[in-house]
Amino acid sequence: MSDQPITDLSEPRLASSWSAATGSWLPAVILLLVTIMAWEAAVRIFAISAFIIPAPSEIAKSLVAQWGTLMQATLVTAGEILFGFLVSVVVGIAIALLIVRFDWLGRALYPLVVLFQNVPKVALAPIFILWFGYGLAPKIGLILVIAFFPVTLSMLAGMQSVDRSLLSLMNSVGASQTQILFRIRVPHSLPNLMAGTKIAATLSVIGAIVGEFAGASDGLGYVIQFASTQLDTALVFAALLLVSVLGIAFYYAAEILERIVVPWAPKFSQS
Amino acid sequence: MRIETIRAAGDKPAHIRHDDLISAKGVSVVMARQLILRNIDLSVPKGSFVSLIGPSGCGKSTLLKVLAGLVQPTQGSVSIAGLAPIEAARKRMIGLVFQDANLLPWKNAVDNASLLLGIADKSLSRSDLRARGQEMLELVGLGDSAHKRPNELSGGMRQRVAIARALALDPAVLLMDEPFGALDAITRDSMGQSLLEIWQRTGKTIVLVTHSIDEAIHLSRHVHVLGIKPGRITESLDIALPYPRDLSVTEDPEFVRLVVQLRTMLRSSHQPGGAS
Repeated sequence: MSDQPITDLSEPRLASSWSAATGSWLPAVILLLVTIMAWEAAVRIFAISAFIIPAPSEIAKSLVAQWGTLMQATLVTAGEILFGFLVSVVVGIAIALLIVRFDWLGRALYPLVVLFQNVPKVALAPIFILWFGYGLAPKIGLILVIAFFPVTLSMLAGMQSVDRSLLSLMNSVGASQTQILFRIRVPHSLPNLMAGTKIAATLSVIGAIVGEFAGASDGLGYVIQFASTQLDTALVFAALLLVSVLGIAFYYAAEILERIVVPWAPKFSQS
Repeated sequence: MRIETIRAAGDKPAHIRHDDLISAKGVSVVMARQLILRNIDLSVPKGSFVSLIGPSGCGKSTLLKVLAGLVQPTQGSVSIAGLAPIEAARKRMIGLVFQDANLLPWKNAVDNASLLLGIADKSLSRSDLRARGQEMLELVGLGDSAHKRPNELSGGMRQRVAIARALALDPAVLLMDEPFGALDAITRDSMGQSLLEIWQRTGKTIVLVTHSIDEAIHLSRHVHVLGIKPGRITESLDIALPYPRDLSVTEDPEFVRLVVQLRTMLRSSHQPGGAS
């Protein structure tokens, strides 16, 4: 189509880091603003009912009007996510360590863990409500069953991908399995583990909201469900916005954690 | 010092010559129903530099693993100063270097250099290990890179750390499996030269697996040629060039003659050998 010489592509871009950063963000921000404006315009022009699709301005109004309630709900949900996420990471790591350290346990546990992965865990929510009531426990339980698996699986992959020659070196000087585990396998698995942790952070948000849908008297999931029964769609969207903000916040928190824990790991993003 | 204690051990089996540090007798290895090595006799004199060269698939790496105690021979026996290889390794008599440096990316050069020593000798404190690691890094010419992580080091520098890690054990023998195989030609030459200097300074016995004819002749005192199907030693060549050698040795007419001779030997080693 274009008869531009291909060599243009390989020319270095001498942009400053600031303009490089805005350059990478700018298109997304512009698209977002355009979408919001088109949305606002469409709702007004076609006079769409506010309980079908509220205009962005209505959502903003609702956000301001219900700010106190929404913040309180956000705090509750954030607490569930954080607690559930931490439990998932701890349990996920523990299972991975047990599988690698004790061969027989690994052979027993691993197939069951994979099998359990095929259970639609969202469907466990009512059962957890039945067992644990309406408090924090069923949400933590649900987050755990949803989010531990990527942690376990990524850490296992990392621990099992240690180079054979390195293991030969360790064996040749008489290293014990425990030494190999904690001095080689575990630190070697950290980049993988952190990747799994980021997935778990995202899944924790889903787990918390689903848990609140199934039965809760507080939290953003509860607000969404309550507001939708009241046909207060603007409030539903406002809560949805806050859930998304929480999700993004947890994801980036996990990413910052990754940079602190594994500064030696190759960076995949923003190269 | 280590070498003195080995000599003091004295009561070795009769078939070991007194100046042989490593002796393999009738070693055969069968893996997955395939004869990888057949009836290998190899003796490595103490303090010498021996290369094993041969085409891919000749089992030269397997032979090195047998010497290191990482592979058990199906038949035959190996002794290192009168000990089985596994025992010798446990007594820190074997230093291993592979093609991949296999450094731990989360540790700096000095901690990588002392890693194996720390596992082999639990009595050493952290500062003892650091001091030993630093000493070894200086020996391999990386004294001022002690605090760099592997991702800050070039391929050649990483391999120097791997050599330092093996030397930190103060082994009697250094077993090296194509240690410079992944490096570019110029780095390779300078690494070879450094290895020669380290060898002469420390008096270690070195067994080097290589597929480079120049490298084998430049560095070693004895070269053993391995043939394929099955892997066996087809010929041996003494390199009479005087030490110390530097890269100018490659222009020596004797060097050129040896290259031709070794190349001819290697060509015939590509012919599968029948039963014998």
